[in-house]
Amino acid sequence: MLAACGSKKDNAATTVDGVTTIEFWAASNPTQQAYWQEMATAYEKTNAKVKINVSVIKESPSSEATIQAAIAGGSAPTLSENINRGFAAQLSASKALVPLDTLTGFSDIITTRKMTSTIEPWKFADGHQYVLPIYSNAMLFGWRLDLLKELGYDAPPQTYIEILELNTKLKAKYPDKFIWAKADLADPTAWKRWFDFFMIYDAASNGNKFIEGDKFVGDDKAGIATLQFIDDLRKNKGILAENVADPFETGTSLFIDLGPWTFKNWVEKFPDMKYNENYTLSMPPVPDGVDPKTSKTFADTKGLVIYASATKEQQAAALEFIKWVYSDPNNDAKWFEQTNLPPARDDLSTNESFKAILDKSPELKPYAENVPNAVPPMDNAKFNDLQTILGQEAWTKVVRGELDPETAWANMKTAIEGALK
Amino acid sequence: MKENNNRLGWLFTSPYLLYSIVFFFIPLIWSFYLSFTNWDLIAPDFQFVGFDNFAKALQSPSVHAAFWVTYKFMLVFVPLVSVMALIVSVLVHSLPKYKSLFLVGFFLPYLSSGVVSALIVKGFLSYNSPLNMSLRKIGIRIDWLGTSWSALFIVGLIMAWKFTGYYALILTASLESIDHEVYEAAAIDGVNSKQRFWRITLPLLYPGFYTTLILAFGVTFGIFTEVYQLTGGGPNFATNTWQMEIFSQAFKNLQAGYASAVALLASIATFVSIYIIRKLLEKWGARNGWV
Repeated sequence: MLAACGSKKDNAATTVDGVTTIEFWAASNPTQQAYWQEMATAYEKTNAKVKINVSVIKESPSSEATIQAAIAGGSAPTLSENINRGFAAQLSASKALVPLDTLTGFSDIITTRKMTSTIEPWKFADGHQYVLPIYSNAMLFGWRLDLLKELGYDAPPQTYIEILELNTKLKAKYPDKFIWAKADLADPTAWKRWFDFFMIYDAASNGNKFIEGDKFVGDDKAGIATLQFIDDLRKNKGILAENVADPFETGTSLFIDLGPWTFKNWVEKFPDMKYNENYTLSMPPVPDGVDPKTSKTFADTKGLVIYASATKEQQAAALEFIKWVYSDPNNDAKWFEQTNLPPARDDLSTNESFKAILDKSPELKPYAENVPNAVPPMDNAKFNDLQTILGQEAWTKVVRGELDPETAWANMKTAIEGALK
Repeated sequence: MKENNNRLGWLFTSPYLLYSIVFFFIPLIWSFYLSFTNWDLIAPDFQFVGFDNFAKALQSPSVHAAFWVTYKFMLVFVPLVSVMALIVSVLVHSLPKYKSLFLVGFFLPYLSSGVVSALIVKGFLSYNSPLNMSLRKIGIRIDWLGTSWSALFIVGLIMAWKFTGYYALILTASLESIDHEVYEAAAIDGVNSKQRFWRITLPLLYPGFYTTLILAFGVTFGIFTEVYQLTGGGPNFATNTWQMEIFSQAFKNLQAGYASAVALLASIATFVSIYIIRKLLEKWGARNGWV
C-alpha cells in the first residue's frame, strides 16, 4: 500500500541553476526544530549554492514508521536527525543509509568536533559508521531528596540491599508510596527496556553489550541479579507497574529514570522541582559487593543519518552542512542550551564553551560527566524484536511476579538466541 | 436506450470504481505478492519465501492472541453497543421534539479522535486519579489497564461509547419508518407498553438492528487506535488485535512481507467470521418471523 501509493521524487531536479536543495527532517521537538532551522538559515547565508528545507518528522504513528513509509514511497529526505542506533541498523541492513565514513570530509567532522572516543562504540558490525551521534544522554535516576531526608538519608542509596532497606522504611511510613512507580515497567514495548532493564543491567554488568553482531553475549550473572533486584522490590511492594500521573513529581515514587529533557518540561509544569533541594540525581544502583563508582548506564543517544536515496550532490551538500555546523563548538553549546541534550563530544565536561551552561544548570553536570560511562543501544537490525522478547519473556513477567528471575532469564535467552538465527 | 442507461450507470459508478481499484484492489494484489516475500519495503534485495510467512504466522503466539482477542472483544463490545444504541434510539424516538439535536450529540463521540478519548481514559484510570484514590479508600484496588479482563473491558467500553451514537442513528431511522397505524391497531387490541416493545417495535426494527449488528461485529476486526494508545496490545497480548499485530510487524519490526501474510490471514478470519455471523443472524430473524 505504502509503496503502491508513493511517488518517486525527481532527484535530478534537486540541483537547479547550481543550487542544491536538501531536505532535513528534524525531531518532533520544538527546541530541536528551532535549532536546525536557525542553523539552516545561517548556513544558507554563507553558502548560496545550497537551500535547506527543514521540516519535522511526523510522529504519527511513530517517527520510525514515517521514515520507513517515506523511503518506501520514494520521498525520503536527504538527511534526518533523531535516529537511534537500533533503527539505523534496520535501515542500514536495508541499504537505505549512506555509510558516512565513505563520504569525503566525514573524518574532519570527528576530529574538529572532538568526538573520536564518543563515536567509537557507534561503529557497526560491518565496520562502517552510519550515524553521526548528536547527543548522548547518560540516563540517570532521579531521587526525591525531601522524602529521603524524611527517612533519614542524606544521599541516595547505591546498592540493591541499601534500596531494599530504604523500601522497608518507606513502606512503614508511607504504605501508598513506592520506590519506583511507572506503568512502562509492565509494558513489553521494545524501547521501554532502555529506561529500566538496560539502565540497571549496564550497571550490573559493567557495560556488557548484551548483543554483539548476531550473537547473544549477555552476562548471565548480571542479568539474573538485575531481575532479582526487581523481583525483591516487587515482593516488598516497592514497585507500582500501573499508569500513574507524574509519580515522581507528586511524590508517589521515590525514584525514577530521568533524561535531561525533563527539566525543560518541569520549568513549565512543575516549577517547584529544584535540584539538590527536593530532588537529586544518581547513576543506577549496583549489586551488593560491586563498587558504585564503577556504575555504567544506558546511553540515550541519537544522531544524524544521510539517506542513500539522495543524489550524490545532495549527499555531498548535506555533509558540508553538517561539517559547517560542527566546526564551531558554539553551535554545540547553543544546542545544549536550547535542548538540554548533552552534545556527543569527548570534551563536554572540559571545554570552556559548555562550562557556562553547566554552571547555570548544575542538574546537567552529572549527565555531562557520565557520557563516557554510558552504553549505546545494540546495533542489531532485529533490535525491536529482541527487546520485545526481553520484555515479554523476562522483564515484565518478573515485574508481574509470574516467573522467578532464573527461569525468566533462561527463557529469554533461549528465545533471543532463536530469533538471532 | 438500454445502452445509454448502461453508459450512464458506468459513468456514475466510475468514481467509486476507480477509488476501489486504486485503494482496495491494487493494494490487495500488492499485499498478496508481498506476503510471499521477505521484503521490508526498503531493501533493494529480497527473496521469495513461498508459504514461510504464513507458516510462521500460524505458529506465532501473538497471531493466536490476535485471533482470540477479536472474539473476546465481540463478547464485550457487541452486546454493550447494541443495548446502548437501542436505549438511545428508543429514548430519542420518544422525544416530542429536537430529536436531531440529541442524535447529533450522541453522534459526536464517533467523530472524536480515538487518541484523545484514549488519553482521557488513561488519565481517569491512573493510580492517583480521584476515582482510584476513592476506590482504594474503600479497599478496592484494580490495575485497570494492567489486568487482562479489565483492559479488554475498558477498550470495549470506549469503543461502545464511540459507536453508540452512530448505531442509534441507524436504529432511530428504522424506528421512524415503522407505521404508526400498527401501534394504533395494537392499542385498540389492548397491548401494553411492554408487549408493544417486544412484539411490535423489536421485530419491525430487526432489519435496522441486523445492519448495526453486522457493522458492530465488523468493527472488532479493525480495532487499533484505542488499543495502541491505552495498552499497546498488553498485558501479555490480552488486547493484541489483528491491526496491532499487523502494525507491530510492519512498522516496528520492518517485516512488511510477514505483516502482509498476517493481514491476509486477518482478512480470511474476518470474511469467514462475518459470513457465519450473518447466516446465524438471518436464521435467528427467520426463526422468530422477523425477516
